Amino acid sequence: MSVAVEHPNIGPSAASGSGDVMTLHDVKVHYPVKEGVLQRVTGAVRAVDGVDLSIRRGQTLGLVGESGCGKTTLGRVIAGLVPATGGDIWFDLDDSSKLLMERLRAIPKDSMSREDKALWSQLESNHRLGSMSRERQRIYRRNCQFVFQDAFASLNPRQLVRDIVGRPLRVYHEASGNDLDLKVINLLERVGLGPQHLLRYPHQFSGGQRQRISIARALALNPEFVVLDEPTSALDVSVQAQILNLLVELQEDLGLTYLFITHDLGVVQHMSDYLAVMYLGKIAEIGPTEDVFSNPLHPYTKVLRDSNPSLEGDDLDGSAHLRLTGTVPNPIDPPQGCRLHPRCPVSQPECGWQVDDMFQSLETSTPASFETITRVERSGPFAAQLVMTDDAAARHLHEEITSSRSPFGRAVETITLDGANVSIRLREVEEIPLIPVAPGRMSSCLLAGRPGGINPPSESR
Amino acid sequence: MTMTSIPQSAASNEPRKDRLRTRASSVRWARRREVLREVMRNPLTVVGVVIITLFLLMAITAPLLTEANQPDPYQSPRDWANIDVGPGVEGHVLGTDSTGGDVLYGIIWGSRLSLQLSLTVVISTLIIGTIVGSVAAMRGGRLDNFLMRIVDVFLAIPELIFALAIAAVLGPSFRNIILALAVVFWVKYARIIRGEIIRVKQTDYVAAARVVGDSTWNIYRKDVLPNAVTPLVVQATLDMGNVVLIGAALSYIGLAQAGLTEWGAMVSAGQSGILAGQWWVSTFAGVAILLWALAFNLVGDGLRDALDPKTEGR
Ligand SMILES: Nc1ncnc2c1ncn2[C@@H]1O[C@H](COP(=O)(O)OP(=O)(O)O)[C@@H](O)[C@H]1O
Ligand SMILES: [Mg+2]
Repeated sequence: MSVAVEHPNIGPSAASGSGDVMTLHDVKVHYPVKEGVLQRVTGAVRAVDGVDLSIRRGQTLGLVGESGCGKTTLGRVIAGLVPATGGDIWFDLDDSSKLLMERLRAIPKDSMSREDKALWSQLESNHRLGSMSRERQRIYRRNCQFVFQDAFASLNPRQLVRDIVGRPLRVYHEASGNDLDLKVINLLERVGLGPQHLLRYPHQFSGGQRQRISIARALALNPEFVVLDEPTSALDVSVQAQILNLLVELQEDLGLTYLFITHDLGVVQHMSDYLAVMYLGKIAEIGPTEDVFSNPLHPYTKVLRDSNPSLEGDDLDGSAHLRLTGTVPNPIDPPQGCRLHPRCPVSQPECGWQVDDMFQSLETSTPASFETITRVERSGPFAAQLVMTDDAAARHLHEEITSSRSPFGRAVETITLDGANVSIRLREVEEIPLIPVAPGRMSSCLLAGRPGGINPPSESR
Repeated sequence: MTMTSIPQSAASNEPRKDRLRTRASSVRWARRREVLREVMRNPLTVVGVVIITLFLLMAITAPLLTEANQPDPYQSPRDWANIDVGPGVEGHVLGTDSTGGDVLYGIIWGSRLSLQLSLTVVISTLIIGTIVGSVAAMRGGRLDNFLMRIVDVFLAIPELIFALAIAAVLGPSFRNIILALAVVFWVKYARIIRGEIIRVKQTDYVAAARVVGDSTWNIYRKDVLPNAVTPLVVQATLDMGNVVLIGAALSYIGLAQAGLTEWGAMVSAGQSGILAGQWWVSTFAGVAILLWALAFNLVGDGLRDALDPKTEGR
């Protein structure tokens, strides 16, 4: 390879000024579920299921949510480690190209003017993941790095630290030989390690040191943007603070943009400018961190905040604590409408109740009558005919549902009793979008924009 | 900073860097020695290593230990005056067979044949199996499916039977035994390395290499292969013994040239004399086969325990 590899303007100055480092539109990652000897695809884990997000240059976006809700997958798809199965991801859009992108995206492809088509394809080849030109792809690859949750697992056990941290430099022919050693020593010093660590194997380090090594590797190419996937969750509390401080320091020195993934609200509170709360593959709420903490606009955010012991004692809004019922549903078949509604303490009839959610709710609230259902004939997700063991059971169930004050009871549009059969039709609800509800704030909760907000209605308290 | 300080510091940096360079390889060697020490901690492994070393010495020094028969040293010299004599007879420490062939000579030169057989078969199948398994695992998809169906077909037939069928078709000769075993043995390696590569491909360190933008070839070379190869090394060591065992079985049933100093052929040749009390030909050749197979199995098992990926390096 020749020495004269051209480097178009790379590094943090690649696109200076403001704008988005990453822009996501309706991004989906569905992992196929294969079953049987033939490994037929029988369904999909909807790990990320329609995410809109902007990561502003120079800022930290926190991404929180319970384990299994798709945070890692979202981080990986942004870093190009997992292909998106739907939607589009844009890299390095400044404000004007973002506006252009949004305008063009709204136009259906077949009714686009030739001019717009040309603009669109130019935009794609410069900014869109999967469509970028080789040169742009290279710039993206250099500028978007990843720090893994399990540092040890992210370091090749058979490589010396010198080769691990120096690898990015070798890939881009930035350094070799003695020069490489010097640069790696500099990187190690920057993350708080010394030259004596250069020629050691990963197993010779402590957990915190390993995470420092992987941070050094992520910084080797002087990137603009780093995805931090729970970088401290595997560490002792005392070490956690050190690594967090290091990350803050590095961000200030190098002008980095972070996507900081964590399940721990306490950690993210001090790290992030913006906070996105994720539940079952979707963004529940997003806004400036302080505002999200002091005034959550989604019940899920409030539950997360209220259940975090490290946040107790903070001066919160003094409202009643919320608790969820049940467990996280299977991401293969998540609830429609609002993802949270079957577990939500303040759910409404309009939240997207379906026959399946109704069963779930019946099973926990009135197991006795749930067991008297012998057969179910569905007609779509919102209607079904239940065949009960006998007429009395049918009457009983009918009475229970009609008298129910629960949101799902109120979501029933028609319910008819015919011998041992009960026919139910629930209110049909479309997907509930993430919409702006206050300046700078978006929520996917129906209640967020309403007068009482997301707090439980006073009658039930 | 003054002008003079710059060349000075640059100069003082040079030797330091060179020291680093040499130290990197010495760190790697230290690590290898550590692994070796770990392997040799098991006394059974040491026994295996000692036996293998003796066989190797025997094979290397065969022309010094005995006078090579002309024109073909792999045919025992015939001592027609001493047919079927027992061990201990002057000039025939382990006796002779029914054609006056010296048993000790057969065992010594047979060790060369065993070494040739096992090394040729194991090295060639290791290469073929690694290539096939690596291509399947790295490419995936339909090519993987296609290659693995072939492997399944091969694996469905017992090794010995398969090798026997091939050798029988090719006709009796030592070279054909090698060929038959090579056809049979590569599949196992392909299977093993494919599974390991698929496992390693899912690790975070491979993801980390991809995020940095390294090429697939470099990832294969630096991350995948070094972390996938251990079970292959273990299997290859075990097979150094197994190949000789199966090769001996094939020549025992007559698929090698007659009179060859191959241990299996010697067991076969000595068999007719056993009822007449002439036990030594078959027994000594059989012991040689068993010792060989045992030694490599001991070392292979020892390697498996010592190199267990769950404990190694952690
Ligand atoms: N490679 C994969 N194949 C299939 N399912 C996966 C894969 N990776 C993650 N998942 C599933 O996707 C969902 C989200 O996982 P993940 O993104 O790791 O969540 P989190 O990081 O929030 O814990 C989980 O249900 C998980 O089981
Ligand atoms: Mg995760």
